[in-house]
Amino acid sequence: MLRMLVLRDLQKKYTRFRLGYLWTLLEPLGMAVVLWLVFSVLLGARGFGLDPYPLFLAVAILPWWWFSKGIGASTRIWRKTGAQLRISTLPTQLWVVRALLVSMIEFLLSLPVILIAIAFTGFLPGPWIVLFPVGIVVQFLLMYGLALLIASGSIVFPDIGRMVRIVLRAMFYLSPILYSVSNIPAGAQFIAAFNPLVGVLGLYRIGWWPEEAIGAIGYSISLGLCLIIFVAGVLTFRRLENRILKEV
Amino acid sequence: MARIPVEPNLDAVVELAHVSMRMPRRRRRKGSGRKQRLRRFAGEVRREEIEVLSDVSFRVNPGESVAIFGSNGPGRQALLRLIAGTLRADSGEIRRREPIVPMIEVARSFERSYSMRQNIYLVGGLLGMTPDQVEEHLPIIVENAGVASSLDRYLGAAPALVRQKLAWSIAMSVNASAYAIDRTIVVGDKPFREQCWSHVQGLRESGATFIVATDAPKQLRRFCQRALVFADTQLVADSTIDEALEVLREVRQRAKELGEPGEPPA
Repeated sequence: MLRMLVLRDLQKKYTRFRLGYLWTLLEPLGMAVVLWLVFSVLLGARGFGLDPYPLFLAVAILPWWWFSKGIGASTRIWRKTGAQLRISTLPTQLWVVRALLVSMIEFLLSLPVILIAIAFTGFLPGPWIVLFPVGIVVQFLLMYGLALLIASGSIVFPDIGRMVRIVLRAMFYLSPILYSVSNIPAGAQFIAAFNPLVGVLGLYRIGWWPEEAIGAIGYSISLGLCLIIFVAGVLTFRRLENRILKEV
Repeated sequence: MARIPVEPNLDAVVELAHVSMRMPRRRRRKGSGRKQRLRRFAGEVRREEIEVLSDVSFRVNPGESVAIFGSNGPGRQALLRLIAGTLRADSGEIRRREPIVPMIEVARSFERSYSMRQNIYLVGGLLGMTPDQVEEHLPIIVENAGVASSLDRYLGAAPALVRQKLAWSIAMSVNASAYAIDRTIVVGDKPFREQCWSHVQGLRESGATFIVATDAPKQLRRFCQRALVFADTQLVADSTIDEALEVLREVRQRAKELGEPGEPPA
């Protein structure tokens, strides 16, 4: 059932445009190129992020897109599902997972962008690349928790949807996407560790830039937070599930 | 919600014991969106929960056809969803012997951007069928709904009538023998309604159970033996159709005398 829903959603997305799947590659690629041009070539901001900058950008921007699309979708999950929830005894979480899986598959499909960036820069990853898949798993857990929190929260307090959009915008700049954690002043690094995305993005990047670390403590805080959010999401959702079912 | 537990050894299809339920009040849609927002800003429209069922107990035996009279919008829907297990009760206990198909505005679950075929799988899945089961029933569904020629066309373009027929055909092909039906057993135009009746009668003769919440008692006189009458969140009568109609009349009469605007036909 879930597989069907996700497949249809993807199909819907890809049949609407002529270039179909190519857009999944072109969109982040274009974004990375624009950002690279602005920050690296035009502003000439050396020492900003790590070399090679295009690859550095691509590795973080793809997961970020997945994150922002999935979380954005989770704010409007209940808008169209009311009638379906009324007649279905399937687990309510299914609708949340659906929103996340669609964006995740898009992310996985866009991974060739990283290959393109590698080919373009000729910069190969080291053995730490094994943590890349771990990053995907952790990010999914984090997003699942967050999406459950947002989805159930927006039933109690509908304005959460709007707030999430602004917070997402801020997160883009507060997370080491355009820059590296080593650009953060030493004093602020500890605070940055409380951003779960720092840990997740670290897992993605460690394959290429093992020196770009915020230290074991920073990582544990950041990744521990992912776990806490996951558990909090699951518990909150369980508490509010009947409220959601009543309200839709 | 996790899959609902069923107890095959229970001797009733569904049994409610002291069930109470509060539901959010339907917001009245008055005025434009802007006016509504203003009203909400001024604190005039507030979310509130009202009691829709209080201490309701009854059981439905296998093969029975039961009508539910008198409960208004949210109450009726809550009751049907509780019976079918798509909602949990605030308090009280509900036990069921088998899955019960919730025929509650099934047509609204369709996705406009899916083709008819995809929608059959979608709604079948929502109602608890596996894809294999849907595939098995597909020819019957298609034939019943009369959509053979447009099976792979997008549903968005289909008229409401076709959607209703399709929804009905899917719900009826679920492998179950108990149904919780909102408002009306039969849908569609006249020939289709005839078809529905004969199908439903056939099911009933083979021992299926029907629970129908309705505002049109006359339609059900020839179908249900038993009726439950609700008034003001409580179960006030459980008897034959004719007696129940009598009670319903009295209830409405009393409500009118008290100067309250009775149960509106939601």
